[in-house]
Amino acid sequence: MKRIEVKLALPVVAPLLDVIKQLGDSLKKELAAPLAVRDIDAEFRDAWSGELLSSQNDDVRTLLALFDDEFFSEGVVSFDENNAEVILRACAAVRLRLREVYLKPFGDETLEGGDVDVATLSEPLRKAFMCYLFLATIQELIIQHLDDGILGS
Amino acid sequence: MRDASNGFGNFVCELREPSAGVYCGRVMPRSSETLPATETETELKLDGVWRVVVLNDPVNLMSYVVLVFKKVFGFDEQTARKKMLEVHEQGRSIVWSGLREKAEAYVFTLQQWHLTAVLEPDEAN
Repeated sequence: MKRIEVKLALPVVAPLLDVIKQLGDSLKKELAAPLAVRDIDAEFRDAWSGELLSSQNDDVRTLLALFDDEFFSEGVVSFDENNAEVILRACAAVRLRLREVYLKPFGDETLEGGDVDVATLSEPLRKAFMCYLFLATIQELIIQHLDDGILGS
Repeated sequence: MRDASNGFGNFVCELREPSAGVYCGRVMPRSSETLPATETETELKLDGVWRVVVLNDPVNLMSYVVLVFKKVFGFDEQTARKKMLEVHEQGRSIVWSGLREKAEAYVFTLQQWHLTAVLEPDEAN
C-alpha cells in the first residue's frame, strides 16, 4: 500500500488546530456545501441531508484524529490509500466552512486568486486564512502522491 | 475554484514515501454501466433525460475537482480537466445526462465530495 509521511512545522500548524476543531464542530449539524437540488420531495431531501451529514461527520472526525499525541511529539502525519479520500473530503468541508465563517469579506475573486497579504490581517482572520492554506496543502499532497489509490478504490 | 499548485508553503518540513508500491487498480467508469436496451427505452419515456450540472465555487481546488470528476464519472484526465475549466470559467458544466434515478445518485455523490450539483431536465430529449 502506498503511504506518505509528512513532517509538519509544529509551531506553524499547532496553533491552527483549534480553528479546525471549532469549524469541525460547527459542521456536525450543517452541510459544508448545502444541497442545491430543488425538485426532490421533502422526505427524500431530508434522507439525503441526513446521510450526507453523517458521511461529513465521519470524514471530519478522521481529519481531526490525525492530530493526536504522536503528532504533537513528532509533528508527523501519515496518509495512505485508506484515509486519503476521507481526508481530502474533510479538508474540502472545513475549507468551505472557513469561507462561510471567516473569509467571506475577501470576496470570491480574491479567495480564488489567493492574493491576500497575510501580514495586514487581524489575528483571527490571519489564523483562519492560514488554516485555509494549510488544508489546501494537505489536499495537494494527497492528490499529487495518492491519486492512483483514490481512483482505484 | 482555486489553483494552489504553487508549493507547500511553510507548513511542510519533510515528505517521505516509506512504502511506495505499485498500485494495480483501475478506474471503472460508472457511466459505462448500461441497462438492457428495452428497459432503458421504457424508463427514458417515463422519466425523460436529466442533466447533472456542477456549479462553481471559489473554494475547491482545481486539482481536487479534476480528481472528483475522474473518480465519480470515470473521466480521463483530459475530459475531467475540460469539465473543470467549464465550471471555473462558465460557472457550470453538464457532467452527465441520462436517467433521473442515476442522475440523482451522481448528484448525491458529488455533494458527498462537497461539490455543488443540480439536476436539470434535458429539454432536447
